[in-house]
Amino acid sequence: MSFRQKSRLTDAEYNGDENRNRGPSRWSNCRKRGADGSMRSNGDLDSTGTSDLKKSNVNHRPVSFTTPESEGPVPRCADWGSEVETDERRSSVRRDMQRRRILTADFGPRERKNSSGSSESRDSPVPGEVMEEDEEVLMRRQKQITYGKNTLAYDRYIKEVPKHLRQPGVHPKTPNKFKKYSRRSWDQQIKLWKVKIHAWDPPALEGSELQAIEEVDLDDVMDIELDFPELDSDSSAQPLKVSKASSSQPDSSQGTPSKMMKIDASVDLDMA
Amino acid sequence: MENLKEDYKIQSFDLETQKLLKTALKAISMPSEPSTVDLEKVSNVIVDQSLKDQVFSKEAGRICYTIVQAEAKHNNGNVFRRNLLNRLQLEFVAREETRLRSLQEWVCFVTFICNVFDYLKVNNMPMVALVHPVFDCLLRLAQPDSLNNEEEVDCLVLQLHRIGDQLEKMNGQKMDELFYLLRDGFLLQEGLSSMARLLLLEILEFRAGGWTLSDTAQKYYYSEVSD
Repeated sequence: MSFRQKSRLTDAEYNGDENRNRGPSRWSNCRKRGADGSMRSNGDLDSTGTSDLKKSNVNHRPVSFTTPESEGPVPRCADWGSEVETDERRSSVRRDMQRRRILTADFGPRERKNSSGSSESRDSPVPGEVMEEDEEVLMRRQKQITYGKNTLAYDRYIKEVPKHLRQPGVHPKTPNKFKKYSRRSWDQQIKLWKVKIHAWDPPALEGSELQAIEEVDLDDVMDIELDFPELDSDSSAQPLKVSKASSSQPDSSQGTPSKMMKIDASVDLDMA
Repeated sequence: MENLKEDYKIQSFDLETQKLLKTALKAISMPSEPSTVDLEKVSNVIVDQSLKDQVFSKEAGRICYTIVQAEAKHNNGNVFRRNLLNRLQLEFVAREETRLRSLQEWVCFVTFICNVFDYLKVNNMPMVALVHPVFDCLLRLAQPDSLNNEEEVDCLVLQLHRIGDQLEKMNGQKMDELFYLLRDGFLLQEGLSSMARLLLLEILEFRAGGWTLSDTAQKYYYSEVSD
């Protein structure tokens, strides 16, 4: 109810009283269908008045009134920053795929020396195992991984724990984007991985850290088969965070003072 | 800080720039929340300065490269690059107005964007996103009204000397298009100054020779230039 009233007001703002009966609104020029899904002829008045909104309930649309499938997601923003980032991701993904192919070819004829099971793959491809090859999927996954690695916490983590000293289960491990997983499974892995990394958040951010942990609904995680330990409830996550935070105290010697440091603003004046 | 000085050869820049760089690198190497804002500020300062100072705009690419590398290495970030590129895009969109307002600013802008194209690579490849914009700028410089300004012709040939071969690899067709304009300008345009003609002839030969000058050509064009 209130939604319709609001829209009525908005429409009045858009069209203005004087424009109300003049003809198609500025958005209707390009549309080939009216709001009810039927094709418009060129001269049709497309009223975006209140009556349309009442009919615009999705359930009333005919099946044909859907966006046709295109090749895939088109980037919504055409800003150079994003474009370059996407290009970089694409070339990185392609390079990774090439490396993976070379590694697979290498391991093919020989027996794998790594005695642990295939689930503990340590990034080496198992010969015969099907890889994720869809570039779109790999790009999306890489983006999620990059966002996770772009954090102070991850930076501190890799500095504190070198790869060869990582203990499975205790230390977060980046999900392997080349393995076949369902979308849901992958997204959950990423979520969990990022939560674990938060344990290395810089000490000054402890307040927001707690918030981040509590926001994640850990109950969803239970049925997913992963390398990570079972997290029963929120409370069991907290001790993990606290112990890691305290063990990283020695590192904070350069933490607090630098945060207090003001960046020299005199640069602006000099350059002006 | 001492390590940073060595890593990035800061001394090779002038003092003002050194200060700027040190601010940026400090913000990167000791990260905290405010540093995001600082890097944006730094990139804006660099862009603003590049538009005012032609000498700076020739060096700015290298400065940006230094900062981008530092940010990527220290915290996997690209706040600086992203902000730089988006600022560049804004300036690009407004380039015609800039040119009408101030030829100098326009020339500085072209110099800067070409410089960025030269230095900022992505996985060792030039940025694809910049190829068309750079070509658009050069094509603009090749228009008859611009060819009448020595300042603009000078800028055009300088950029082609620096990044012509890379640009051609990215889009040969556009380069052909550009050089048709240059050739036509050289042959047909009345009122071109003799210096402009000379510059155009040189760049035509330069490209024809595979983006290098033969010895004879070198002697022809540069014999009177003091070393």
